[in-house]
Amino acid sequence: MTIFTFALKRIFKDKTNLIFLTLFPVAAIFLPEPEYWPLLPYGYHYFGVLILFVGIRLTGLLVEDRQKGVVKRLAAAPVTHFQYLFQNLLAFSVIVIAQCIFMIAGGVIYDHELHEPLLLLILFIVFSFTAIALSLAWNSLYRNKETSFLVFMCVIIIMALLGGIMMPIEMLPDVLEQLAVIFPTYWLAEGMEWVVMGEDTADFLLINGVLLLYTLLFLIIGSIRRMG
Amino acid sequence: MTIAAMQGIVKRYGNELALDYVDLSIHEGEIIGLLGPNGAGKTTLIHTLLGMIPFDKGSIQLFGRTEKVFSHENKQKMGLVTQELTVFEDLTAKENLEFFAGVYGLKGEERKKRVEEALAFVGLSSNAGKTPAKFSGGMKRRLNIACALTHHPKFLIMDEPTVGIDPQSRNHILETVEKLREQGTTILYTTHYMEEVQTIASRVVIVDQGQIITEGTVNELIANIQHEEKINIDVSTPGDVPVERLKGLEGVKNVHVDGSTVQIISTVGSGNLDRVLSLVKETSGVVGIQAEKPDLEDVFLTLTGKQLRDGEEE
Ligand SMILES: Nc1ncnc2c1ncn2[C@@H]1O[C@H](COP(=O)(O)OP(=O)(O)O)[C@@H](O)[C@H]1O
Ligand SMILES: [Mg+2]
Repeated sequence: MTIFTFALKRIFKDKTNLIFLTLFPVAAIFLPEPEYWPLLPYGYHYFGVLILFVGIRLTGLLVEDRQKGVVKRLAAAPVTHFQYLFQNLLAFSVIVIAQCIFMIAGGVIYDHELHEPLLLLILFIVFSFTAIALSLAWNSLYRNKETSFLVFMCVIIIMALLGGIMMPIEMLPDVLEQLAVIFPTYWLAEGMEWVVMGEDTADFLLINGVLLLYTLLFLIIGSIRRMG
Repeated sequence: MTIAAMQGIVKRYGNELALDYVDLSIHEGEIIGLLGPNGAGKTTLIHTLLGMIPFDKGSIQLFGRTEKVFSHENKQKMGLVTQELTVFEDLTAKENLEFFAGVYGLKGEERKKRVEEALAFVGLSSNAGKTPAKFSGGMKRRLNIACALTHHPKFLIMDEPTVGIDPQSRNHILETVEKLREQGTTILYTTHYMEEVQTIASRVVIVDQGQIITEGTVNELIANIQHEEKINIDVSTPGDVPVERLKGLEGVKNVHVDGSTVQIISTVGSGNLDRVLSLVKETSGVVGIQAEKPDLEDVFLTLTGKQLRDGEEE
């Protein structure tokens, strides 16, 4: 599990990562509860956006490895490319799961009305996996970590706005509202709405199912080996 | 024992032929100097041999295996020093070594010991806690080498380990290679500096345009292109040079006296330098001496009609 351990080590060595992983979630917990929209405290909607940022930062390690030729060097070592990817993704997953638990536990302790904290936790964790997989796929298109990050920031903003986690989707023109279903963020927003008002468990399963399908799709795109 | 062998290896990049029916055998304990200009196909050859890239034709054997040659068991026995610096910029030298040691299956105390040992081996012990960003070019190169050493590979492949560094670091690295050989490591050493090959290689393989154009010991390669040996001796009293006695010495083909210089031409490998010198010294007093000996550069020039360093901006 060397690759796993060192992935964790490298993530925690990066000061910006630490801010993303600790300061931002803490700040989000303390954001106020809205009057009308959204249904959950503001911080939990921002957290959805934060997860996307965390995803791209974590998977940035893999771009760095490719840029530095470490991936190529590992091709000469007794590890498969699959093991390399798997152990890195495992490390990223451990981190985002911990972050989601922190966020939900923090909210419960702070006495936010989260309705179904456990189901919300599951939703966030599943969405985090989607975010990691999406970033993995995104990064595989770029040779340079910085470019990848910059362009992805714009993508995050678009997804956040059009997916309905930063503003009510009903405010969008009809065309965009219908287009929104293609964004994973739409499904996160749907999931959060379900946690507050949903009744049918099947709906919640469907929402998570869509997110997991996205995850799978992005994982496949992202893990197609690019040595170059 | 044959450590590695390639037979009829062909590797194409698109339409470009990077390896053109390469045959190569590497035996235990050898230091093979793989010499060739930039773009000759050295890196491609190495990456093919290690199973890092697919090839189009031919077969490879490693450690006596002809099937599953690139198994983890075989990869475990090999080490690669990459041409580029492939280390983690955000990890310290020590952590980098721990990572690669771990990837090669070393754990706990053993790993700790091997990491210390590798650091000392390349002279980085006192800088173990620093990240490569704070290193000089030579130190980075040495770290890059150390990353391939912790698991004690039987067969070490070094791809231009001395590119772009100062002479002192270069000597340090050459000494390291020498030490590794003494420990019984078989080494494939790639470079486009012929001086390095001349110093350390037990056998030289010259590649150009994806083909192995010749191989042998340095002396063999030189002997193949050399037809005579020339020695120029500067003397204090040219009039006293015993031309006829010199011509009578074994191997001497001709003797010219030109001003204060005596030129003696012998057949190849005559080994008569000692006798020639003592005779000239007795009679005419030696002031200076130059032997015109061809080197690998001449070998390359003879075989390809171009300079080894052609097209290089150094
Ligand atoms: N990934 C690649 N894609 C296309 N061509 C390549 C690639 N790698 C190397 N080549 C070409 O193959 C030839 C041999 O390159 P290389 O093995 O790197 O030579 P060397 O290591 O001797 O400098 C060169 O002409 C180079 O341009
Ligand atoms: Mg090369």
